[in-house]
Amino acid sequence: MKYLFPLGLFIALFLDGSLSLHLAQFLFAPNVFMESRLLLLWLIMAVCYSDARNIFLWSVIVGFFFDSYYTGVLGLFTVMLPLMVYLTREIMNYFTVSFIVVLLVYLIDVTVLTGLFYWANILIGFTTVSIADFIGQVLGPTLAYNLAWYVVLFFPLKRFFEKFA
Amino acid sequence: MQKAFFNKKLVVILITLIISFLLIAFSISVRNNRNTPSFIQKFGNEAAAMVNRVVSLPIAGISNVGSSVTDLYNTYRENELLKGKIDSLAATKVENQTLKAENKQLKEELRLNKTLTDYTRITAYVLARTPSAWQNQIIINKGTNAGVTKNSAVLSDRGLIGRVTEVDTTSSKVELVTTQNDAANRFAVQLTNSKGETTNGLITGTSGQYLVMGQITNSTKIKKGTKVVTSGMGGTTPQGLYVGKVMRVSTGGDSSNTKVYIKPAADMNKLNIVTVAKRTD
Repeated sequence: MKYLFPLGLFIALFLDGSLSLHLAQFLFAPNVFMESRLLLLWLIMAVCYSDARNIFLWSVIVGFFFDSYYTGVLGLFTVMLPLMVYLTREIMNYFTVSFIVVLLVYLIDVTVLTGLFYWANILIGFTTVSIADFIGQVLGPTLAYNLAWYVVLFFPLKRFFEKFA
Repeated sequence: MQKAFFNKKLVVILITLIISFLLIAFSISVRNNRNTPSFIQKFGNEAAAMVNRVVSLPIAGISNVGSSVTDLYNTYRENELLKGKIDSLAATKVENQTLKAENKQLKEELRLNKTLTDYTRITAYVLARTPSAWQNQIIINKGTNAGVTKNSAVLSDRGLIGRVTEVDTTSSKVELVTTQNDAANRFAVQLTNSKGETTNGLITGTSGQYLVMGQITNSTKIKKGTKVVTSGMGGTTPQGLYVGKVMRVSTGGDSSNTKVYIKPAADMNKLNIVTVAKRTD
């Protein structure tokens, strides 16, 4: 697990980019923007189901690579991914893991992450989209798309983490 | 003061926010002022680009299989359409060659070495697309090693797609022309109507899936279907790169409010091989 967890993390990072490229006609169709968050899915599953250590540190490193490679603006995901890990750990203190619980936690995390990313981009001035448009065109479709990937990948990931724990 | 005011969590959050804002400010100033990003970013980007090539191969393979299967369904109809186009293509090619030869001869006579239309081509393929709703950017696999410079225009096989915003050694980031970023470096374009009158302007933004051309300098009549090309006036883009076709013109008041809606010729969602057009004059 010491080597598999970071390996999977980076694979999820590049899968996000490759999927955004090859499914672009569906993800970036007119009036809809779905953001691929497989990276967050891997992090959440690792926090809930495995005992990998240093998840926090690895999330900072992967956040740095995400910012540097994909957007070119450091400081966005570098702090937001560790925040997500911290938030998930705090929430999971009150619940036991199961399909539905992790699903809801994942949706909450995607909402918070997408919302913070939107807010940061408004601050920098990279976008001027209104909140209503954001919720309808970005947040909703992003949640739906990532929910679909969660449903597909939950059981394989759970088996993977429990087997290599 | 209460002791709880300075508890550890608040301090950690504040420090994190300050670090985050500092990093953001640093990145934006580097992006606007320097030609290449900082060393640690370059190193990270190169490593990431190398791994991305490996990871993207299976996905690209699956995507190719998928598009081959859908192509099979449309093959017969597409074949009929293409046969009609090929006949007119041969005549256009011959005309093109004649015009090129005449152009070269006239340039020599005027002793012009390089003009606005000259550029060198660097072919690259697309590694990934930024999974973000606010940045319309793609990452290509050529960098300073291949001669790519910042602010060069990038074309697909059908037309203009964007501008290079960041160059590392073995990869670059290209911001698509459909970006909604207000601070983006915009293209200067021109169109020529059937009477030969040229109208210059700037791509000032997007509206839906159309590009909006504004800052128009004169009030000639523009018809739907007119081809729009880059004008070379910005200094970094060569002249004559195909941008798209006019869909609609909206005049509001005087001529400075005219907005032309252009349908981009390139399909932004199906980008595999792109060409970086580096201006050489």
